[in-house]
This record gives sequence, C-alpha cells and structure tokens, in this order.
Amino acid sequence: MADGGAGIQESKGDGREENMAAWLVGIENLKIQPYHLPPLGPHDVKVRIKALGICGSDIHHFKHMRCANFIVKKPMVIGHECAGIIEEVGSEVEYLAVGDRVALEPGISCTQCDLCKDGRYNLCRQMKFFGSPPTNGSLANKVVHPASLCYKLPDNVSLEEGAMCEPLSVGVHACRRANIGPETSVLIMGAGTIGLVTLLAAHAFGAPRIVIVDVEARRLSMAKDLGADETIQVSTDIQDISEEVRKIQSAVPSSIDVTFDCVGVNKTMSTALSATRSGGKVCLIGLAQTEMTVPLTPAAAREIDVIGIFRYRNTWPLCIEFLRTGKIDVKPLITNRFGFSQEEIEEAFKTSAGGGSAIKVMFNL
Amino acid sequence: MGKGGMSRGDAGDEEEENMAAWLLGINDLKIQPFKLPPLGPYDVKITMKAVGICGSDVHYVKHLSCAGFVVKEPMVIGHECAGIIDEVGSEVKNLVPGDRVALEPQITCWQCDRCKEGRYNLCPDVKFFATPPVHGSLANQVVHPANLCFKLPDNMTLEEGALCEPLSVGVYACRRAKVGLYTNVLIMGAGPIGLVTMLAARAFGAPRIVIVDVDDQRLSVAKNLGADEIVKVSTSVQDVPEEVEKITKAMGARVDVTFDCAGFSKTMSTALAATGTGGVVCLVGMGHNEMTIPLTPAAAREVDVIGVFRYQNTWPLCLELISSGKIDVKPLITHRFGFSQKEVEEAFETSARGGTAIKVMFNL
Repeated sequence: MADGGAGIQESKGDGREENMAAWLVGIENLKIQPYHLPPLGPHDVKVRIKALGICGSDIHHFKHMRCANFIVKKPMVIGHECAGIIEEVGSEVEYLAVGDRVALEPGISCTQCDLCKDGRYNLCRQMKFFGSPPTNGSLANKVVHPASLCYKLPDNVSLEEGAMCEPLSVGVHACRRANIGPETSVLIMGAGTIGLVTLLAAHAFGAPRIVIVDVEARRLSMAKDLGADETIQVSTDIQDISEEVRKIQSAVPSSIDVTFDCVGVNKTMSTALSATRSGGKVCLIGLAQTEMTVPLTPAAAREIDVIGIFRYRNTWPLCIEFLRTGKIDVKPLITNRFGFSQEEIEEAFKTSAGGGSAIKVMFNL
Repeated sequence: MGKGGMSRGDAGDEEEENMAAWLLGINDLKIQPFKLPPLGPYDVKITMKAVGICGSDVHYVKHLSCAGFVVKEPMVIGHECAGIIDEVGSEVKNLVPGDRVALEPQITCWQCDRCKEGRYNLCPDVKFFATPPVHGSLANQVVHPANLCFKLPDNMTLEEGALCEPLSVGVYACRRAKVGLYTNVLIMGAGPIGLVTMLAARAFGAPRIVIVDVDDQRLSVAKNLGADEIVKVSTSVQDVPEEVEKITKAMGARVDVTFDCAGFSKTMSTALAATGTGGVVCLVGMGHNEMTIPLTPAAAREVDVIGVFRYQNTWPLCLELISSGKIDVKPLITHRFGFSQKEVEEAFETSARGGTAIKVMFNL
C-alpha cells in the first residue's frame, strides 16, 4: 500500500490505465500524478476507490505540510476516509471477491507489539496510516490494502456511506471507551464533523439525552436536525463558563454523566470538567491544543475521569451494522461533492478548508 | 458525632467531662469540653485511644481552610482514629463494649444517587470528621455510627487501626487505577500519601514500583519501605524531559500506572509524559487547583486521568492487609504525643514542620 511511489508507470500498452492519485507536493499544492502501486501480497486486495471524504487532518496537512508530530517531508498521496470496489484479491484471501464493495480501515498496525497483541492496535507505534506521513493516502484511482482491513458493505449501504465509516468510527470508539448506554446523559462540546458523528453514535448507543454546544448557530441547527435533544450556543470567553455550565445542567433532568470534548481547547475542557457530574467521565477527542490550563484538581476531587481517544479500533463492523439498520444516517453530513480532476480537487479542498456550511466534502471517483 | 458541641461542663456530675482539641483560630488549638450528642440506636460511643495527624488537619490549623472548606466557628480537629467501644445503641448487633475498633470518618446520607450506587465518598451531604462544620475526633470520646466502626483483629494495635484511614487513600487509589500483577507503578511524591500508596500498590501485586521526590530523606524512607527504585526530581518544569528519561530507565519497563500524590503542574506533566501509552495517571494529591499540563498528547496516547476522592469500602481490606502482615504501617509512625494542651501544640508543630516527621500519632 504505502510503498507505492510517484513512479513513472510503464505504460504496458495493453490498455491498462495508469493509476493516478492526488499528491500533496507542497503547502496548499495538490497535484494529480501517477501513483505506482506495490505488488499485491497474498493477503492483500486491490481496491478501486469510489468514494473518499476530506478530513480536518487532511486539510491541516494541506495547509501546513504537517499535523501534530507528523511532518510531510516528501510528496505524499492525501486522503484516508474511503470505500471502493475490489478489483483483485491476493492468493490467500478467503472472504472477499472481485466486485465486492468495501469500506477501508486506513491504519495498518504491526500486529506484533504489546499494544497490538493486547487489542489496542490504534496505539501501535509502527502504525502505517493512509495520509499520515510518510504513508501514502488513498485519494487515488486504486490502492492496495490488507484484506483484513476491508469490510464488505451490505447492498443497502452506499459507497459514500462506506467512506463515512471512518469519521463515524471516531464517535463509536469514544462512545465505547466512555461506556455510553441508556443511563448516560451526554454533553458534546463542538458541533463540527466529529461532534456530529459523536452525536449520532451516542444516540445509537442509547444515550437518553444529548446536549450539544457550539459557538455557531448554524452548526447547532444541523445538530438539532440530526437528533440533539438540546442545543446551546456558547462563547469563546472563559468568563462565561459558570453561566454556560448552569444552562447546560438545566437542559437535562438528571445530570451530565459523560462529556465529549470534540474541540480540545482550555475553554471547552474547563466547561466539560465543571458541567459533568461527580463520578462521571470527560472524553477528550479534539486535539486542538498541546498544553492546556484546566481546573483538573477540583474535577479529580469529584472523581471525574478524563478518557483519551486516539482514532479507533475494531469499529467498522459496528458502524456498518448501524448504517445497514438505519440506526445511524450519515448521509446528511455529506454537504459537497466533487469529481476526481485537478480542478475539482483544488476546489474541494478549498471548500472543506473554508468551513461555513461545508461539513463533509466527498469525492466520487 | 458532628453534632456535639462545647459543653458548659455540668458540675457535680460523677461522669468526667469529655474533652477535645478545638481549633479556635489560626494556630490556636485548645483542649476544651466537648459535649457529645445522645447515643442513637445505631450508634456506638467510643473512647479514643489513637489519633493521627493528617496534612489536611495541619492545613486547617494554619489557614482555617482547606480545599474550599472554611472553618467559620470552633471545630474539634482530627479524623484518623481508633478506640475502644464504651457503649452501644439499642439496635447495634455486631459490636459490644470493649471491642477495639478503627473508625471510618465519613457519615453519608445513604439516599442520594451516589450513595445508592456505592460511591458514597462522593455524597454531596457527607459529614466528615474535622471537615467544617463537622467536629473531628481528637477527643476523649466520640459518638459514631456502628456500621462505620470496624473491629480490630487481636494482633492489630490501635495505632495501626488509626492508620487505616491514610492507608485507605492508597488502597482506594490502587483499586480505581486497577493496580495488579501486570502494572508497573510510578509514584510522584514520597510523603505519607505517596508512601501508603506504595505500600498498597505492593500489596495489590505491582511487580515494580518507582517513587520520585525532591527530598533525599523521603526517598531514603521510601527505599526502606520497599520501593524498587527511587529518583530525585526537581520543582522545575524545564526538567521534565530529563526526569522522564531517568524514570523510564529506573523502571526498566513501561510505566502502566502513575499516582500523582503531590498534584502540581510539574508532577502531573511528568506523570503524563512518563506513563506508557494506554496507561493510567491517578491524581491523588491536591496541590493546585488549576494546572497547566500537556493533556492532549497524553489523551492522544489514550493515557487516562483518574481522579480519587478519599475512599469507599476500604476498611475491611485494610484490616486484612495489616493483620496478615502484607502491609506494615508501623514504620510510618515517627512521633508520638499524649493528649495534653502542651503536647497537642507540640504535635501539630512537629507535623507541620515536615522533615523527618511522617505520621505524628496521639495516644490518649
């Protein structure tokens, strides 16, 4: 997968098209260029990518050539939220066949370290993740990927919905770690894409009441349409915390059991720690700031646990099941669609980076 | 219990007056009469024999406040205690006069959601010995619910009984952090709480324990009490990367659980950086309210931060650990005083001074 390069693919003269991909070659500089795939291993499949969504981290790489500790040092194929159709299967692949529609889990872990063996493979230090340098991503005609990370889509789940399994997985993993269920009232800080998939997941896990907050009225309106019980507009001003906590707590009949901070700044974390009931949990999903100044001690003295979230693990089957049964409908999150051409990829990234009414920008290849 | 008050001292009574150490003002402790409430059907009256001084007691003496609680009127101090049953209420079935008992200092409502789910330490209406406005137990006698008095096995002393209280903090923290045979433990701070946490962690089966502190003497005590490795650290945030390296080397393996028994930005920052991916940091100490810490990189490695507040359901286990010899708390008692005006003052001064003092114990 990742070992493919920007090679000049030999035109085999047999009518086989050259594999093209969207390469990040510099700051805000994307170029569709050939992408030479590695040979198909016995446990791999070759997938023709049909749907791919743009993530905030893709935008971050696009704008800064880095994201957290990941630095883009050489041209890299962008993109990781994807689904497609199997074109070829390796010799040992048993459960997938040519023509199968699959959603892809982007990260290949080492499967040998303590964390992998313990089942927490999302934390593997040798993780090769689509679009996290130096691993090439999947905004391409085709990719090669382990069959074990490709999940067959039921007939009633579209390829776009398949691509949405990736962001949805973040919400699902968070709800699992935080033990969301019929007894947990939930508060969500931030109604961006991650806040919204967390909302959908919390609802599917049975949360009886969900309150969501954001600084933007438009985002809150979308959240309300997607099933939030209460929406509250908040500010970026730390002075407003007490008042906001009061509003939040009166929005639920009992108390806030779990808060998901899908933003990750001092204000949102401080609000989360104050608004959550004693013995509850705050789940930090948003990774905006590195150092945070927060009233941690009073929260710890109320036995509020702070749970960390990094990507996801073992979530695709559950996401697909939620989509199959209609328990979760991700389609409203797809707000903009583009095709796979130089002009359109530039416009797509511009649209996604611009925010505003754009939630999930989707490529159809 | 907490409802007792200053008595006028009814003269001509054969019964001697119950006396207690009252906190009247900053650094102002006075032994004065302490009138006990009537004995309820589920209560027992205990003659106090051993009372230890806690850091929070010292804080109240010095500041008349601690963690948001303010002493607004005279209050009896002290809460780590054990004694002998003097009298039992009419409905008390499992205790009789003469029984030696350790006391759990918190009376909770048993009716709110937290109490009903067993997390009674989080009860919003908790009445805790010597947390204002509730009177403490540095007194000749107190009245207390029988179900919060735990009978000491014959081979346990009353002083060991009193130590069940601080030990409970360590035991409860180990439970919440799920310390066991698989968890290598790091402890920030080798004061009394760091030490009881270390003793508890070992009893819970932790294979390797590294403890850090700024003070050589404390580290030496920790080594004698069983730490596998000790590391001296500073108070400077700049030193975090270097210290994390030293700690990792000292552990020789992944740090699975870190207990911050100090609770400052520096110790929390070190804890978050030193703890292995997927591990747990347990915040026990209450040094600072607001902390500036690299929370996000830790969350992005799924290092969870667990809070603990006091303890719940720990006395039976503490008694078992001490009486079976799995934990020896006796070395923690460094100073002893009797119950007189002069000795009460000296005891608190000794405890406040720190230095070689770990647990200062009253014998009444």
